[in-house]
Amino acid sequence: MIKEEIWTEKYRPETLGEVVGQDDITERLKSYVKSGNLPHLLFSGPAGVGKTASAIAIAKELFGEAWINNFTELNASDERGIDVVRNQIKNFARTAPLGAASFKIIFLDEADALTPDAQNALRRTMERFSATCRFILSCNYSSKIIEPIQSRCSVYRFRPISDGAIEKRIKYIASEEKLKVTEDGLDAIKYVARGDMRRAINALQAAAVLGKKIDAEVIYKIATMARPEEINELIEFALGGDFMGARDKLDVLLIEQGLSGEDVINQIHRAIMDFGGISEKTRVQLLDKIGEIDFRLTEGANERIQLEALIAHFMLAGSKE
Amino acid sequence: MTKVNLLMAYVPMMIEWTEKYRPRTLSDIVGNGKAVAELKKWAEDWGVDKKATILYGPPGIGKTSAAYALANDMGWEVIELNASDQRTAAIIQKIAGSAAQTGTFEGVSGRRLIILDEADNIYGNADRGGVNAIVDVIKKTNQPIVLIANEYYDMSKTLRSLCKPIQFRSIQSRSIIPLLRRICRDEGVDYDIEALEVIVTKASDLRSAINDLQAIAQGRKKLSAEDVVIGIRDTKGSIFKVMTEIFKGSDPREALYASYTLDENPEDFIHWIDENMPREYKGEDLANGFESLSRADVFLGRVRRRQNYGLWKHAGEMMTCGVQAARSQEPHGYTPYQPPSLWKKLGQAKSVRAVRDSIATKIGKHCHVSQRYARAELIPFFKMLFKKKECAIGISATLDLSQNEIAFLLDTKDSGAQKIYDSAQKRIMLAEEHAIETFGGF
Repeated sequence: MIKEEIWTEKYRPETLGEVVGQDDITERLKSYVKSGNLPHLLFSGPAGVGKTASAIAIAKELFGEAWINNFTELNASDERGIDVVRNQIKNFARTAPLGAASFKIIFLDEADALTPDAQNALRRTMERFSATCRFILSCNYSSKIIEPIQSRCSVYRFRPISDGAIEKRIKYIASEEKLKVTEDGLDAIKYVARGDMRRAINALQAAAVLGKKIDAEVIYKIATMARPEEINELIEFALGGDFMGARDKLDVLLIEQGLSGEDVINQIHRAIMDFGGISEKTRVQLLDKIGEIDFRLTEGANERIQLEALIAHFMLAGSKE
Repeated sequence: MTKVNLLMAYVPMMIEWTEKYRPRTLSDIVGNGKAVAELKKWAEDWGVDKKATILYGPPGIGKTSAAYALANDMGWEVIELNASDQRTAAIIQKIAGSAAQTGTFEGVSGRRLIILDEADNIYGNADRGGVNAIVDVIKKTNQPIVLIANEYYDMSKTLRSLCKPIQFRSIQSRSIIPLLRRICRDEGVDYDIEALEVIVTKASDLRSAINDLQAIAQGRKKLSAEDVVIGIRDTKGSIFKVMTEIFKGSDPREALYASYTLDENPEDFIHWIDENMPREYKGEDLANGFESLSRADVFLGRVRRRQNYGLWKHAGEMMTCGVQAARSQEPHGYTPYQPPSLWKKLGQAKSVRAVRDSIATKIGKHCHVSQRYARAELIPFFKMLFKKKECAIGISATLDLSQNEIAFLLDTKDSGAQKIYDSAQKRIMLAEEHAIETFGGF
């Protein structure tokens, strides 16, 4: 086996007991494992709080060695259309479960990326294969999942992970990796993570590239670097009045790096929150405009045009600073 | 001159002025003196040089007129075929073939001029054999043939090799004005010279200038520049003219109507406005302009989602009237407009995007996230990890990255990627050997 170098995977929980910070939920999930049976499940909650980790842990505990054959993971936002999803599900569900298992598990991540029509098709697929398959769906917002699917699933709402739980896990990984994390370094990790364990672990690993000692300064430096550098450049060009410069950066982000308009606006949003050199009044005004453009992205046809409108507004705000 | 006036007496009132004032003789042709002289010489010496000629050049500048005027001057009968009307081999053979070979009833001296219009337009399945038939006719003909085309190089090499090429060029606006004056005089329309100047600058060619003049002047006793500006909007304009109207004009209706003359739909046209607005507007005007464009785009989004094309008009209004109304400062002089850079960039970035997407797929699979999340959140993170060589090797081995993918994450094109790739592959091989040793017994 090749040594695992990515810490989020290296320290991925093997059992439900190791899933951090969702004790209420994992306790209930353990009882399914004990009974050997499983209803369809719907996990909702923000990124990095243990939805995928719990699904994989359930499979490992239920199926043991054979888990890899009886578990499949699909991402609804990757597959083009429900037909692809259905075909993959069909192919997986067609063969009998391996080993002692009496069913297989299909984990469909980001199920809220499917349109309501596609979800209706998914519902029928779930019914067709319910004799041999259990579905675990995960989503950010359960309200985006149609009622008929929700009513067929046991719904679990994952919350952001508490600072205490993050601290405990980070301390454990740091000692395994022989790193020294200072108190303010820990606080900084908790701050940038905002309840997202994946982000916390990534921040730790990225900081470790710079040295064994991890303090607040390193973490905040990493947090800015983790943003595509074009985001900061875009904002600086825009506030400085260079529209064409900002648009070039936008094109790098959208075209070369393949970020969606939503990704870009989320990144800009985060960056503006931390951006120095503007008055609080201007910051609020920019945040308001970001909100409006974020909405128009969902309504409009061209993400680039909407984001250019945001840049033009930033220029205006920058000139009044 | 007298000839023209005599003919006019028999012309009904509503005839198109382009027909009414079509030159009857080569000396009446406006512009293209060199081409006309060449054509005349070709006809006079017919039989010495090539038996067919191709008159080519942009539309509306007198190619067909020249062919008819030539026939008139030479006293030849005319047989005209339009390649886009009757394009099958059989018909071309039947009409052009017989005309070409049989001569006329008037005897050997009276020739027939075969005019084949839109000769660059005889391709495609429906025209199977069409080109061959023409080639055949030209080879056998005993009558002069004029082919007329817009694009010389759209015609087959064989066809070109059989014909004498004569190029017609666009006519300068200035040289059109005398003709318009003459028409006005003949039609009894009084005019401001500025009015005619506006017409020739806005029209794309001679024919459209005459058409514009007729559209505006018919039924008027006097023609002012103002009448022209309002009246001109129905003529088909180029995208650059429409942008000038939007960015530099002051009448929102003008801007909107100008956009109607385009073949572009609003989905494409918005990119032209988007590309060029920053070259025209600054500061508050730019922000307001983009506010309108953003609204226009929202309408486009609604059209797309609901398939309700009736809503396109609102998008069109926002991107023309809206953008124009955003301007508070005087427009500056000439602006070199550019086609949308977005399309070019999309093409150029194709290979980078392919590499990036394959990395995102590998990361997504390995780290249990979507490709989108991998692209937006994890690729920047991996780029950071790649700053440490040992880390880069380890991850490249874990994900089995290609050399291109490693170079992408390193942001480099130098040999660094090669070294990391080699070390990672070595590591993968070692791990496989180890696995075989461990499980070799099975």
